[in-house]
Amino acid sequence: MRMIETKNVQLYYGDFHALKDISMQIESNTVTALIGPSGCGKSTYLRLFNRMNDLIDNVRIEGDVLVEGRDIYGKGLGMRIDELRKKVGMVFQKPNPFPKSIFENVAYGLRVNGIKNKDYIEERVETSLKQSALWNEVKDKLNKSAFELSGGQQQRLCIARALANEPSVLLMDEPASALDPISTAKIEELIYELKEKYTIIIVTHNMQQAGRVSDKTAFFYLGELIEYDTTPHIFTNPTDSRTQAYVTGRFG
Amino acid sequence: MEKQTKQQIAFWIFRIFAWCVVALLLGILYFIFSRGWRTISWEFLTSIPEDGMTKGGIYPAIIGTLCLVGGSMIFAFPIGLLAGIYINEYAKDNWFKRFIKLMTNNLAGIPSIVFGLFGMALFVKKLNFGDSILAGSLTLGLLALPVVIRVTEEALLAVENSFRQGSLALGATKLQTIRKVVLPIATPNIITGLILAIGRVSGETAPILFTVAAYFLPQLPTSVFDQVMALPYHLYVISTSGTNITASRDMAYGTALVLVMIVLLLNLLANALRRYFSNRVKMN
Amino acid sequence: MKRAYRQFTERFIEGLLALSGTVTSLTVLLIVVFLFNEGLSLFGTSPLENKTALVVNESNPVQKLSAVSIKDIFDQKITNWKEVGGKDEDILIITVNDIGNYYSEEQIGAEFEHLPDCFSRLVDSLPNALAVINESYRTSYFKGHTIDVNKNNLPDFLSGKEWFPTAEPAVQLGVLPLILGTLMVSLLAILLALPIGLATAIYMAEIADERIRKVLKPVIELLAGIPSVVYGFFGLITIVPFIHDVFDLPVGETALAGSLVLAIMALPTIITVSEDAIRNTPRSMREASLALGANKWQTIQKVVLPYSMSGISAAAILGIGRAIGETMAVLMVTGNAAVMPKSILQPVRTIPATIAAELGEAPNGGVHYKALFALGCILFIITLIINIWVERISAKRKFKK
Ligand SMILES: Nc1ncnc2c1ncn2[C@@H]1O[C@H](COP(=O)(O)OP(=O)(O)O)[C@@H](O)[C@H]1O
Ligand SMILES: [Mg+2]
Repeated sequence: MRMIETKNVQLYYGDFHALKDISMQIESNTVTALIGPSGCGKSTYLRLFNRMNDLIDNVRIEGDVLVEGRDIYGKGLGMRIDELRKKVGMVFQKPNPFPKSIFENVAYGLRVNGIKNKDYIEERVETSLKQSALWNEVKDKLNKSAFELSGGQQQRLCIARALANEPSVLLMDEPASALDPISTAKIEELIYELKEKYTIIIVTHNMQQAGRVSDKTAFFYLGELIEYDTTPHIFTNPTDSRTQAYVTGRFG
Repeated sequence: MEKQTKQQIAFWIFRIFAWCVVALLLGILYFIFSRGWRTISWEFLTSIPEDGMTKGGIYPAIIGTLCLVGGSMIFAFPIGLLAGIYINEYAKDNWFKRFIKLMTNNLAGIPSIVFGLFGMALFVKKLNFGDSILAGSLTLGLLALPVVIRVTEEALLAVENSFRQGSLALGATKLQTIRKVVLPIATPNIITGLILAIGRVSGETAPILFTVAAYFLPQLPTSVFDQVMALPYHLYVISTSGTNITASRDMAYGTALVLVMIVLLLNLLANALRRYFSNRVKMN
Repeated sequence: MKRAYRQFTERFIEGLLALSGTVTSLTVLLIVVFLFNEGLSLFGTSPLENKTALVVNESNPVQKLSAVSIKDIFDQKITNWKEVGGKDEDILIITVNDIGNYYSEEQIGAEFEHLPDCFSRLVDSLPNALAVINESYRTSYFKGHTIDVNKNNLPDFLSGKEWFPTAEPAVQLGVLPLILGTLMVSLLAILLALPIGLATAIYMAEIADERIRKVLKPVIELLAGIPSVVYGFFGLITIVPFIHDVFDLPVGETALAGSLVLAIMALPTIITVSEDAIRNTPRSMREASLALGANKWQTIQKVVLPYSMSGISAAAILGIGRAIGETMAVLMVTGNAAVMPKSILQPVRTIPATIAAELGEAPNGGVHYKALFALGCILFIITLIINIWVERISAKRKFKK
């Protein structure tokens, strides 16, 4: 099934043309990696899908962005932005837990979406923490501040927090770039497991990581989508010379 | 309740509160402008009070306030500027710096009436300056000192370190770096801050009550040991304890408007300078 | 040579800068020294002014009286010696003005030269007398004794309920009504200003669009700069008569009027500081909340406000500090009655207003003068505590970031 599709998307920050005519399709239950040098528009592209770019002044977007076949920027969406964001979860580059307890961090999305049933919330918190492989480490200190966790644990908490909403898509913007190698390995393992249930789009700077976790890879350069194919293909036999140069580490 | 509805209600409440506040604040300004406008004339600004301060003008009070603002700034500006430079550029992060900063912050928090008490005890009585421009200016200067220091500090803090490092790397001394690189960049912020400090000083009443302010004094001062009238004290006198409070009402409206105008003009000036300087930076 | 000169200048200027930094600190210390030197010298002085002494008959067992009971005796609230630990006899007050009732002008003398004799004889002959005399009137043959009056002391000063620094023969220096008046007016002001100011800050930081903010911001800055006399004047002309009419009071100058004026004055500070605190909430926190499907109001409520709480409380405490120290506006609209505050619809008097109103009339170096400096000390200590408190809060905020 086609989960996400963009058709001729243009994005401008004021006069600056940040995304140039991007068309791309993403199947459900796959992991897609977005790679490319800094400033090429990976984050901008990722933030299209939960309309996070709307928070920035002077942003102009043209073209169609479809999630589950529905144009999320169109008038007839029949869904508010906050409902869209519940469906399309996001994990940020730096772990950003709230200054609240571990439990409340995970329960946050449920609470703001109007769920009051305590048993249900507890059950969802437990499931999500298990899914993000954090449960065993925190089950005895759910009421402790989230700031007491290590950076890697905080990031997995942020993943759990996003999973609690039962999204269908999970956006990850360089989720491991601020972490040590062991935490990074844990997150990668997690991504592999989560693929069963979610459609994952991950921005990464790390070629090996893209190679390890993703099914398909898209290479961006100066706001353009240069090449989009299966991951083995991009890494072993890229069509475009710029892709070749990038994946072999000749610029970056 | 739907969360969207809740948001609507909450935002409307905030909107209403905010506009009430704005209406109130603008109302105060309107009140003073509309009533004071009739009184203000060239004559009002340039003649002395008459008939038990129910007629005439406020010339001596304007001159007095000018003297006090000038006097306090002569004292507070150089010391505050130098102290600000010292704290931000020279002092190492040790107990001495922390002590100075702590003291500066405390000085800023002391109520103005306490400055008045102190000024009276030290300048008027102990140093025997009597009720005089000198005593009043020094008292007001002390009050302005922490303001000037803070303004300088913030302006210097806003100068990026890369400028300092660039200059030092070219072999300039610390002093040269400060004089030729840091201060020129910080100057616009220092000037705008100072203008606002002047506004604050010109309206202070409590510190001058016992150090300089005269109830009624038709002559202009001839030396720094003379007493003067001052605008804020004059307003206080004619609105609460003048010879005939109802008869001097118009004078009071006029005086209040002059005080508001001073603050307004200084604010406009500061904003204009801010804009002028930031445009100039853009062009460079 | 040139280099040595340059080095010398650098050193010299550095010294000058350090000196300027020190001046500020010295100023604070000087203020403390002067304030407390004068203020503390109040304690240990006698509440009896101008070398006055109180004398009684030798048979009177009363040795000691407090300033408060002296005032009650002279106000005739206490009329029997029993009430102050003496015999069951009516108290008979004798002052210089009464002496003519007992002696003829001849006996007193044309130049009052026999006044000491008259007092001595009179008090010796009247067992229930309480005479107010000049210390120098005591004759060598006088058999009665001088009443010991409690010296001014800190506990009485702080707990005394009467402020009457010009009372005769004993001044009343109880600052409780002034402290309570100050706190009542200031706290009520913040209670009024905080919710409104906070709502306005939220509106400006989160809801209003940039254009509106650009208009509001300078207006609020302008109002922060307007002198307190102008606010006092405004209050006197509009708020005082309004309260007078609405509550049908004998006078409109009340604690409520003071609180309203102070609330208006505190608004710009509260709005500016809270708005800054709200704006300082990290973008990542907001984004995390929105990305989880929270709407704007939920994000404000659950993330932004808790995060900026310390900044907002700093604004509130700062506001209280300013309100406590505010002099002119309060002096003009609160009516300045030095009585224990009972209702917000009565006149009250605050510490700064008391200093401002009375220092001009207090004779230099007298008990009253010293008492006003002692008030200044109290004010200084209160604001110092508040400053340190605010500093603590902002230090914690920096740490959190
Ligand atoms: N808020 C913004 N305003 C203006 N330009 C922006 C903004 N955010 C990003 N950009 C610009 O858009 C381009 C793409 O940014 P981004 O998507 O963050 O790149 P990447 O994530 O690939 O490093 C960059 O050149 C960046 O400077
Ligand atoms: Mg990025």
